[in-house]
Amino acid sequence: MFELCLYFELEIMGPNGFRTEKMMSARTMKRKRGRRKFMERLGVATAAAAGAAALPAAARAAAPKRAVQYGMLIDARRCVGCHACTVACKSEFDVPLGVNRSWVEYTEKGDHPFAQRTFLPRLCNHCSEPPCVRVCPTGATYKRRDGIVVIDKNMCIGCKYCLQACPYDARFLNPITGTADKCDFCVHRISQGLVPACVNTCVGRARIFGDVNASGSEISKLIAHNAVTVLRKEMGTQPNVFYIGADDSDEHDIHYTGQYIHVNTHRSKKERR
Amino acid sequence: MHGEELTWSLPVISYLFLAGMGAGALATSASVLLRSGPSGTYFNIARYGAFIAPIPVSIGCFLLIFELGTFHVGLWFRWINLYRVINLSPMSIGTWLLTFFIGISILYAATFLPRNAAPGDKWDRPRRLLAWVCVPLGIGVAVYTGVLLGAMPSRPFWNSPILAMLFLLSSLSTGIAGIMLAWAILHRKGDPEAEHRYRESGYLLTATDILLIALESLVLLLFIMYAHLTIGSVKHAISVILAGGPLASTFWLWVVLLGLLIPAVIELFLILPRLLYQKTFEVHRSLEVFMPVAVLIGGFMLRYVVVTAGQITYPIGL
Repeated sequence: MFELCLYFELEIMGPNGFRTEKMMSARTMKRKRGRRKFMERLGVATAAAAGAAALPAAARAAAPKRAVQYGMLIDARRCVGCHACTVACKSEFDVPLGVNRSWVEYTEKGDHPFAQRTFLPRLCNHCSEPPCVRVCPTGATYKRRDGIVVIDKNMCIGCKYCLQACPYDARFLNPITGTADKCDFCVHRISQGLVPACVNTCVGRARIFGDVNASGSEISKLIAHNAVTVLRKEMGTQPNVFYIGADDSDEHDIHYTGQYIHVNTHRSKKERR
Repeated sequence: MHGEELTWSLPVISYLFLAGMGAGALATSASVLLRSGPSGTYFNIARYGAFIAPIPVSIGCFLLIFELGTFHVGLWFRWINLYRVINLSPMSIGTWLLTFFIGISILYAATFLPRNAAPGDKWDRPRRLLAWVCVPLGIGVAVYTGVLLGAMPSRPFWNSPILAMLFLLSSLSTGIAGIMLAWAILHRKGDPEAEHRYRESGYLLTATDILLIALESLVLLLFIMYAHLTIGSVKHAISVILAGGPLASTFWLWVVLLGLLIPAVIELFLILPRLLYQKTFEVHRSLEVFMPVAVLIGGFMLRYVVVTAGQITYPIGL
């Protein structure tokens, strides 16, 4: 019940209500939470329930679809591994040394002369079922109405529970603020109609950003027309970062393929988690 | 294993051990108090348990605060945010549970403070009422330490429902060991009636402890067996404590041999003469100290191995 209350409180942050520097505290949100919004939500819920009855069983079983869900499509075939996204991200947020919000992994496999190297840009997956949100004891991490998973750095206590819970190792402890930190799809930029810094800088146009739930958007058309994959689908996190042509080989694969595989994470954490 | 710092390191490991021990001591103390009659034979077990319980739990909570990222950058009181929210995160539930635990266990300990505290004195009623709350609180805190780790699919080593059960049994066992150790160090010889009570209580604690150790060994076996019988991430994760793994020797020598097998054998030899032939329960002073110390070291090393193994393993495949 408490979680439900918290959920409603957080839901009032609309897709245009981006707050990056001054995140609203729980108390402010409580004040702002209006009866009107609540009634609106109730109406929406009733309509959704009525609509669900007409859908086939498989579609009904799925999680309720958000009106807006920002996501990213990364075409790994177009990535040249130049790290421009990593650098753009670093300078955009002044990310401290030794940690990354966004990074590019190199996967080298095979033996000479049949060897190749592939590139895998990584960032927070802004999951539809984010495990980090479930474990956060203060509600500092939450999923916004537009699907972006953000951290209220005034609420975060730095317990590192979310670092443990993230299957993508996308989170780190910011050594300056002492709080959890990660990619937030550049909310300050997209609220101004710009694309995230990594998308803006990508030389191969390997990154497409947009609303995956809007049927006409470029990203949703590309997802529909291509064989896309997500990372660690079996975790059930329903990631919103999609890949085309991603080589998700792992160093463990050497045990059955017998091929040389080396993953270079380009992070202070040498081992991919 | 990888030469990297663990996200949760020694403070968290110590906290899991200390909170478990305190919770075990409180649950033991309260249940012994509720089960024992007006004779007062086992009253001192309850008394020692009540005095021990809040101390390790409070120390553990302080250690947790030291581990916080915000504490390291000088935001000393940011952890108070924990009390501004309650949600279904195991850590949030645990925070409230620990807060109630510390408060109530201190009140409970206060009812034992009068020098002539005994069953039937004027504090008897509040003491028993508090004890009814203390049993579920102690078990709750002990279980929560396992749930905290078990709640994440991204950590295949921890993501097992039996881990909480393992931590509960280990907590009760270390709690009893704490009571035994404190009493062994503090008790004075002389008064024959006191000696009788001491022996009776020692027998009760030792006999309970061997039962708990047996159950703990069984749960540990099931934990390892089921992990090993699966394929994929969990099997890969459990391999770090099996033969050839980086934590294998730490686990088998410190946890299994010193923490479980050696105390079990000693306790078996101590209780059998009384159990089978109704002889007096006698313990040599050195064993009286060594046995609980071995159990306590084993309990700490169990947390050390579980917390470390959980963080050096991850789901395989991407």
